[in-house]
Amino acid sequence: MKLLSKMTFKGGVHPLENKQFTESRAIEAVAPPKQIVLPLCQHIGVPCKPVVNKKDSVTAGQVIGRADAFISAPIHSPVNGIVKDIALAPHPVIGRTLGVYIDTDPQSNAPRQPAANRFDAAFDPQAYTPEQICTAVQEGGLVGMGGAGFPTRVKIEANPAMPKDTLIINGCECEPFITCDYRLMLEWTWQVIAGIRLAARAAKCTKIFIGIEDNKPQAIQALRQGLSQCRLSEEIRVVSLKTKYPQGGERQLIRSVLGRQVPTGGIPPQIGLCVLNTATCAALAEAVVFGQPLTHRVVTVSGCAIARPGNYYVPIGMSVRDLIEHCGGLTESAARVVLGGPMMGFSIADLSTPLTKTSGALTLLTIETSCCAKYNKQRTACIRCGRCLEACPEGLNPTKIAHAVKHFRMDRADEYFMSACIECGSCSYVCPAQIDLAGYIKTGKLLKAREKRRLA
Amino acid sequence: MLNKITVSPAPHISANLTTRRVMLDVIIGLLPSMAAALIFFRFRAALILLTCVGACLLSEWICDRIRKKPQTLDDLSAVVTGLILGMSLPPAIPVFVAVIGSVFAIVIVKMLFGGLGSNVFNPAMAARAFLTATFGVAMTTWTVPATTDSAMPILSAASPAAITQATPLAWSKMAQKKEAKAQEANSMTVNAFWGNRGGCLGETSAAALIIGGVYLLIRKTISWHIPASVLLSAGAVSLAAWLLRPEQYASPLLHLFGGGMMIGAFFIATDPVTAPLTVKGRWLFGIGVGGLIMLIRLVGEYPEGVMYAVLIMNALSPLIDRFCKRIPAGGLPNV
Repeated sequence: MKLLSKMTFKGGVHPLENKQFTESRAIEAVAPPKQIVLPLCQHIGVPCKPVVNKKDSVTAGQVIGRADAFISAPIHSPVNGIVKDIALAPHPVIGRTLGVYIDTDPQSNAPRQPAANRFDAAFDPQAYTPEQICTAVQEGGLVGMGGAGFPTRVKIEANPAMPKDTLIINGCECEPFITCDYRLMLEWTWQVIAGIRLAARAAKCTKIFIGIEDNKPQAIQALRQGLSQCRLSEEIRVVSLKTKYPQGGERQLIRSVLGRQVPTGGIPPQIGLCVLNTATCAALAEAVVFGQPLTHRVVTVSGCAIARPGNYYVPIGMSVRDLIEHCGGLTESAARVVLGGPMMGFSIADLSTPLTKTSGALTLLTIETSCCAKYNKQRTACIRCGRCLEACPEGLNPTKIAHAVKHFRMDRADEYFMSACIECGSCSYVCPAQIDLAGYIKTGKLLKAREKRRLA
Repeated sequence: MLNKITVSPAPHISANLTTRRVMLDVIIGLLPSMAAALIFFRFRAALILLTCVGACLLSEWICDRIRKKPQTLDDLSAVVTGLILGMSLPPAIPVFVAVIGSVFAIVIVKMLFGGLGSNVFNPAMAARAFLTATFGVAMTTWTVPATTDSAMPILSAASPAAITQATPLAWSKMAQKKEAKAQEANSMTVNAFWGNRGGCLGETSAAALIIGGVYLLIRKTISWHIPASVLLSAGAVSLAAWLLRPEQYASPLLHLFGGGMMIGAFFIATDPVTAPLTVKGRWLFGIGVGGLIMLIRLVGEYPEGVMYAVLIMNALSPLIDRFCKRIPAGGLPNV
């Protein structure tokens, strides 16, 4: 192998890491709240339809929503309880969507403990056939837990049209504040390794890499040690990558680890790759070995505006308000509640918004920690300094796209490859004129999608 | 009681950088040259620089008032325009001419085009071109630096030799017309580097400009591509001419240190508003500026060409941007 430590991609930014709030906090299981809300669309693909009725009683792990489509994932109840209502629920990304409200059974509301201690070095993935693994993954409702929420089965299932040979595990966690994947790699090492081996078996990948930013040396060491104990150091390589945002972007990760570039507008399987997040691997192991569906996940609650930051193992569907209360409440200086990290997360105004399968973090920012967020700084016209071009990890021209969108010139925006934008926000982050470039580009994509629908 | 919780598109944090800070960096970068100007031209330097900055700020304030727009003085861009304009005026320029230039720069070139970020031409250079056309004599009268002793060669043709002095580039022009020897021009190279020579207020000391330019490069206020391409292309052209006819053409070092080459390469051509965005475009722009400077200096009638070279390339830079589009990291999409 070449020099492993400073592998990276072109462009990107380096915001303050701010991981010190939570990196040493062990994962803590949280008891389910009185009521949870499960939005029926927590993944990319066809939204689920409810398969329970009002007043039905449900048990933990029971399917409450599914869709008969290839690209979709069923949704399970994390608790025992009674379906209170099926109605519109707030959703962090798409505004409002149908959701199932479940009142938790007060008799059985002990926190569920993670399954990590049930895995060890002796785990043997050969006991499961690829078909078994894919079925368990589909039935378990697994989706990419890094943020996009693409159904995992579709990703790992062997596809003769696009054969895969390399599996890359994304342990970068390049967003500031977030530490959930880091804790998971440290504490649940065996479970993560088991998940990686199962995924590789299902996808029939023989080359496996785990990419981790070099600001997490303990995680790198933990995984390397674990792998050498299983005598897998040869087959699964832990790659240390330069700490830079967005190192954990799928296309950037591939570039950094393999030096290969996913074509513009293309997807990783086109060049024989499959990329999975570490949290997804852990959930995959649980789903395959214990038949445990994805109903709980680790969420980092961090930022200067929360009393007790930490990494929590929470039932999916718990509302942001309940989680904040569990963490001791917001401090007085709280100015922004972000579901996700500060670079790509969604700021929410309605604290009853539930956590979904893709919510890895809840970041509570004060005016000061949000770098006096753009809006408090003086905004000027674009001075064409070119910093956004330098920062763009996809080699685009953000200011040109943003200005085209501003003047509703979608044709011009397309000339500058608007659809190739990965919405990482690096351009907005560096802009000295405080222009919300990423915001304009996202708006442009929405407008274009709307226009397409109108024409269709 | 909770504060107001606000929402906006991501990202929710941003780098600690503002337009004002960028402009402030340019001002800091100009400090060494301002100091040099004060050393060589004393009171005149202070007078002209303060006049230009004051007139620029006042014109911008009035424009904002008339346009009923929020005040833009605190982004400091008017200060930068004033300083650059002041630095590129001859020391003996009458104060009212400096005021006219400043008003032209801000009102006509900057604000009428839409203010910061919208101007096509570098305001200071356009104003200087305007002054050259309207006050030709005042714009080409060069004072002897206060530090000069009588050892400096003085152009015999210039009448009251005590107050005017030929610039190194004027010598070089004479040499091209075979009225003088190129070696005489070359003998001024050291003075051109340190600044003990006739010329515009801020352009005389190449050393001070290089120090300021390096500061801007370290702060990443300017990208290195433009100064590098301007200096490389101008250096290459002058080297070729010099190698071809050393008795007629001055040495490349004199061309690099003389005239407005350094201030042009580090402070004027790098004005981001009027330069292309892409790296490829910036190379092309810089090569164009450097090439045109040398074309004017070696072939044209004027001894100096920085101003026109920059203005011509300013006009071309939207076109350059159109030509030199960035190709995405993943290559062009197959449509």
